Amino acid sequence: MLEFLSYGFVQRGLIAGSLVAAACALLGVFLVLKRLSLIGDGMSHVCLTGVAVALLTSTSPVYMSVPIVMAASAGILKITEKFKIYGDAAIGIVSAVGLSVGLLITALAGGFNTDLLGYLFGSILTVSASETILCAVLLLIVLVGLKLFYRYLVSACFDEPFAHTRAVPVQTVNLILVMITSVAVVLAFKVVGIFLISAMLIIPPVAALLISRTFKQVLWLASLFGVVSVWAGIYLSFVFNIPSGATIILVNLAILLGAFMWSKCYVR
Amino acid sequence: MPSVLKAQDVHFAYTRVPVLEHVSFDVQAGDYVGIIGPNGGGKTTLLKVILGLEKGSGDIALFGTPLAQFKDWQKIGYLAQKSPVSQSRFPISAEEVVLMGLSHQLGSGVSVSELKQVHEAMQKTRTRQYAGTIFHDLSIGQQQRVLLARAIVSNPEVLILDEPSTALDAQSREMFFDLLGELNKQQGVTILLITHDTGEVGKHISKFMYVDKTVVFFGTKREFCHSEAVAKQLGPFAQHTIDHLHNHHGHCPLGENCAQCGHHHAYSVEGNHA
Repeated sequence: MLEFLSYGFVQRGLIAGSLVAAACALLGVFLVLKRLSLIGDGMSHVCLTGVAVALLTSTSPVYMSVPIVMAASAGILKITEKFKIYGDAAIGIVSAVGLSVGLLITALAGGFNTDLLGYLFGSILTVSASETILCAVLLLIVLVGLKLFYRYLVSACFDEPFAHTRAVPVQTVNLILVMITSVAVVLAFKVVGIFLISAMLIIPPVAALLISRTFKQVLWLASLFGVVSVWAGIYLSFVFNIPSGATIILVNLAILLGAFMWSKCYVR
Repeated sequence: MPSVLKAQDVHFAYTRVPVLEHVSFDVQAGDYVGIIGPNGGGKTTLLKVILGLEKGSGDIALFGTPLAQFKDWQKIGYLAQKSPVSQSRFPISAEEVVLMGLSHQLGSGVSVSELKQVHEAMQKTRTRQYAGTIFHDLSIGQQQRVLLARAIVSNPEVLILDEPSTALDAQSREMFFDLLGELNKQQGVTILLITHDTGEVGKHISKFMYVDKTVVFFGTKREFCHSEAVAKQLGPFAQHTIDHLHNHHGHCPLGENCAQCGHHHAYSVEGNHA
């Protein structure tokens, strides 16, 4: 049953997947509470531009996508603040532009190819050693950031105007949050694919929020759900020979349904 | 008395629609200012500009320091019109909400002295029994009292409140305004309060500020009742009703004319004598 664990590429996939899932879940808690859940979806579409540019220039899609997605995220925040439009509208604009530019570049490069499809639907078992290290660094940054700025983050999520009056640098907090999320999104597209990244940012936090009694419990449970979904998803995909990215998300969905039923029975 | 809040020729507009124009006033330490005016008159926007939540033009100084350079936010307590929690469940206890009123330290730990301050503030607002309850699970009125505890937990010298009593029942409202009165009289806390509820709060207020895009009037209650500018906005009868409510303890100087307003003297700052 545990035969699949003996493969090196599976081990790397599990480690990298767990690290990214935990980071995404932790970041997702704040994004969900700040009603920025769909920012991951917007960023993932922009990833396509990064991947297309990387394939065109034969560079690393991960390293090429990071600055592009970061710039797009900053753009989303800027549009929201500057033009006073709703966050979801800003995400929709940047997302559409990202997708269009990516498709144009892909067309100019001679159409779709197998590499691009791998990024669209995830290829967790092709995660390299350096990318695994990058995932570990990402989670470390998220954990240290959380430990240091916990009270700032909670306050800014709970009541942004009041946080302003307590000298919390809300705009800086928001910017740092989406910048780190940008890196997480880029690393996550290897795990579940561009189309499914936002689910890793949204589903574990939502499930945890349904059943938690304290904020710290939300953070612990969200990361646990994220990691469990990666392990169970990879195992099931290995056993039934089905796509791992989609399986991970469906496991997440099963956890969400379980949390929903638990909340109906035991949580007020 | 030293000036704690001074505004000079403040302007603010949402896109191109002016909301505040030529706003100037000087609030002194110990003042209890009731800010009244019609809906859409810019009262809430004025408070937001004072707090730096909206950027207006003109000069605002808090404790003599220009707003842009002001850092001592612990001296200011703020309670907004709306509770920050909507439909979504934010699993945070009432105690943690009050803690947000203190300065934000690095790390997630809470010191013993911080906890003591939190419990004292909750005691004052009679919310100590909800300390461990999830904020979202409290009624709107209870939430508002917890948020008042958050506003006063840092022992501020100025309290800025935006229609805080709308969700409160009669008993809670009385407790709420008595507490504000106590903070003002015993601890010298300066209070700026937007209210439509002039009847209840009027007994504590020392000054009125009538805002309708600009400061139409700013002065004591008695000056308010004899101000020509206010008479233009509200009419002399409404002015007189306020005077009557606050200074004559039910003995109406208008005599028979006052039968129009009934026994409870309901009054709206839009100028309707209901």
